[in-house]
Amino acid sequence: MRKRYRYVALELASPLVAIAFAVLVGAVVIAAIGKDPVEVYRIMFTFAFRRLDSVGIMLFGATPLIFSGLAVAISFRAGLFNIGVEGQYLIGTFLAALAGFALKGLPSFVHLPLVIAVAALGGALWSLLPVYLKVRRGVHEVISTIMLNYIAFSLIHYLIADVFMDRQQGLMPGVGNPLIRTPKIAPSALMPRMHGFLALFGVDLPRHVYLNWFFPLGLLLAVAVHYLIWRTAFGYELRAVGHNPAAAEAAGIDPAAVQIRAFLLSGLIAGVTGLSDLLSYFGYMDLDFPKGYGFTGIAVALMGKNNPLGIVLAALLFGFLNRGAEGVQTFAGVPMDTVVILQGVMILSIVVASAVMGRYIRRQERKEALGASW
Amino acid sequence: MAFLELREVTKRFPGVVANDHISLEIDRGEIRALVGENGAGKSTLMKVLSGLYQPDAGEIRLDGRRVVIDSPRRAIELGIGMVHQHFMLIPRFTVLENIVLGSEPARGGVLREREARRVVGELCRRYEFALDLGARVEDLSVGAQQRVEILKVLYRGAEILILDEPTAVLAPQEVRELFVNLRHLRDQGKTIIFISHKLDEVLEIADRISVLRRGVLVGTVRREETDRAALARMMVGRPVLLELEKGPYRPGEDRLVVEDLTVPGPGGRPAVRRVSLRVRAGEIYGIAGIEGNGQSELVEALSGLRRASAGRILIGGVPVTEGRVRRIRELGLAHVPEDRQRRGLILAMTVWENGVLGLHRSPSFARRGWLQVGAIKKHAQSLVREFDIRLPGLDIPVRNVSGGNQQKLILARELGREPTVIVASQPTRGLDIGATEFVRQQLLRARDRGRAVLLVSADLEEVLSLSDRVGVMYGGELVAEFRPGEVTPEEIGHYMLGGRSRTAGAGPARDGAPGGAGRGEAGSASPGTDGAAGAD
Repeated sequence: MRKRYRYVALELASPLVAIAFAVLVGAVVIAAIGKDPVEVYRIMFTFAFRRLDSVGIMLFGATPLIFSGLAVAISFRAGLFNIGVEGQYLIGTFLAALAGFALKGLPSFVHLPLVIAVAALGGALWSLLPVYLKVRRGVHEVISTIMLNYIAFSLIHYLIADVFMDRQQGLMPGVGNPLIRTPKIAPSALMPRMHGFLALFGVDLPRHVYLNWFFPLGLLLAVAVHYLIWRTAFGYELRAVGHNPAAAEAAGIDPAAVQIRAFLLSGLIAGVTGLSDLLSYFGYMDLDFPKGYGFTGIAVALMGKNNPLGIVLAALLFGFLNRGAEGVQTFAGVPMDTVVILQGVMILSIVVASAVMGRYIRRQERKEALGASW
Repeated sequence: MAFLELREVTKRFPGVVANDHISLEIDRGEIRALVGENGAGKSTLMKVLSGLYQPDAGEIRLDGRRVVIDSPRRAIELGIGMVHQHFMLIPRFTVLENIVLGSEPARGGVLREREARRVVGELCRRYEFALDLGARVEDLSVGAQQRVEILKVLYRGAEILILDEPTAVLAPQEVRELFVNLRHLRDQGKTIIFISHKLDEVLEIADRISVLRRGVLVGTVRREETDRAALARMMVGRPVLLELEKGPYRPGEDRLVVEDLTVPGPGGRPAVRRVSLRVRAGEIYGIAGIEGNGQSELVEALSGLRRASAGRILIGGVPVTEGRVRRIRELGLAHVPEDRQRRGLILAMTVWENGVLGLHRSPSFARRGWLQVGAIKKHAQSLVREFDIRLPGLDIPVRNVSGGNQQKLILARELGREPTVIVASQPTRGLDIGATEFVRQQLLRARDRGRAVLLVSADLEEVLSLSDRVGVMYGGELVAEFRPGEVTPEEIGHYMLGGRSRTAGAGPARDGAPGGAGRGEAGSASPGTDGAAGAD
């Protein structure tokens, strides 16, 4: 029994070792551009953790990644690769914005959940075609989802710039150009920030921090996904199909049906990814709406080993790195790209370390078990 | 002096001696056929010759010199080329590219295509192989693809060609063509080892025939000196009826009824042709036959994994031919699959999770969609205890459990459902003595408790010892049905090798037209169909 704890400790240690390795490589890069690595890392840490606004900003930055990481992880566990989270969340965000500015006169407790539901459905809608093509025709979902991402980009661009662009932006004639954006979302659909709540605990978040209730929602969702995967019959079937569709089929499980459901669920969660930004920061969707949450979500899922807790931690790590990068850029003159390199190396090392460790642990487990079972 | 000589070659695996002191002498320019049932040791012996396995004892001599074949590369160097049953070709590449792949003529890393074409073209001419070197392999017929495989080994200088079940995938015309090529090769001095269990073909092409049975060489005969009956006798031998405790045979009502079932196999051709049988409560119906005669497809159709194209299946009287797996399981059919790691278990999941695979939605294990983990673990615990599965714990991934214990787990799980019908396919394959005995006892116990058991096994002794009634499958048809003891081992061998047809319980075998008189004529003594004195 003690052996199990040993394996758990090893499994936890491997990402830490990987991170340490990545930090070392980052140090080399920093030194190569003529800066002092120790100083740079020190600034990164103090900037990120010593300032209250930074902590709030890190959590805010992690929020969308929690959702997209969970979305990707669910599809991975069912044996599918949802590379389309990118397009799914853009579609979801747009539809949410639409429901947000087009519907007027609704009370908050109706409008906000409605907008969230619309976003989720938008994501699910965008994931329906790839999974259908996969189970009925064998079209690899990596290809179809990536293609749909591009379609989503263009479609959204068109919808924002041509169809739904806000022509009444109330500018003085001759002063500046209008933003290419949707009309503003009604206040009843916006997600309140956490300032009021935190103030109850004596925490005074500065005004420029946009940490909102989607963060705790994300945490709750992570818990829910954990229970779904490990404690429900559906989760059992999902994992079975992801591991061995042939055995699942022989057991009376319908792999196609399970995969469709899993992928749609993934799309549902993906759709909500952009809402933290949309409903608490921007209040509208424009052409510069943050892109990339889908792809980063894949990295987060990999780092977190498709495990909800790991995903939350990985999302927080990314939040930290991004915030730290801002500080380092401002105060140490180190370009943002350095941190991007660091992030990349980190992802690679964690994945490799986890694979190597995984293999080692499996070999040990096997030796033990075979020794005991004769 | 013999060209290739095996002296006392022995190969052991845990629990079984696959090759038991085998001594063979093969001449240069000979076509030697190697025949035997599944499990006789043919594949193992060929793997020893082609360098994939090392013998535990004995030696191999080539042209009088002792050789050690410690790798496939070494085998090729020595001129031994293996042509596999399952082709290893790259579909998108051309014939030429496939042949030279891995041994391309090149200078300084640059491929010399003209030279390749010249060399291969010369080979084709010399051995009279008609092949378009520029054609894509995926566009070729199966027969042509096989020629490409053969050319691959010839290109590498093989003097000895080993062909493993080469006619399994060929149409009759293609078999003719292959034989023409083989004769050419032999006449040019090549030595050919031809592995098969199709006696008709073997008798046509081989110069001499060696028979293996249960790891032992039974004998080698010249083609002219033997016939089908003699070969069958050598292959099947005298099956030993094992000492097993069986309750009295008191069959109840029909639990599984198969009527005129036809099931398509790979390539669209029917793998099961108009098979009819019934299994009653309290009875074990065994299906004997060499693997590859439709048994797997039959089992898949019964368990819902493959659609039948014609005929009916009834479980407990309920028709399920359109049935999906879940429906069939709900009707009380349990399936112990022949490929346990692929179909029977999820290796990455834990023992307790595998314990409810297929049962995970039943009321005791899932309430309103939520898994009742406590109940599931308790269930797994009781399965492990009852079936004496030795484990350090329930939480370990099942891939870390031995093969025998894995099979016990599957059996425990399926039998624990109190099914009405059990379909067990090759249930003791790869298991050690202890696990094998255990599995057989469990099947007998199930039968004594009133279940209907359909046992499919390539192990003839197992089938004859356990079954109350036996059906023999050959070429997708059920060619014979009898009770063990009613029929001599010779006759069984004949049926298994496509010899005669015999209908159920109708007394001693009658001569029917080979491979076609069909089964429906139980008791309809149609004297007109009695052919000449038959194979004897």
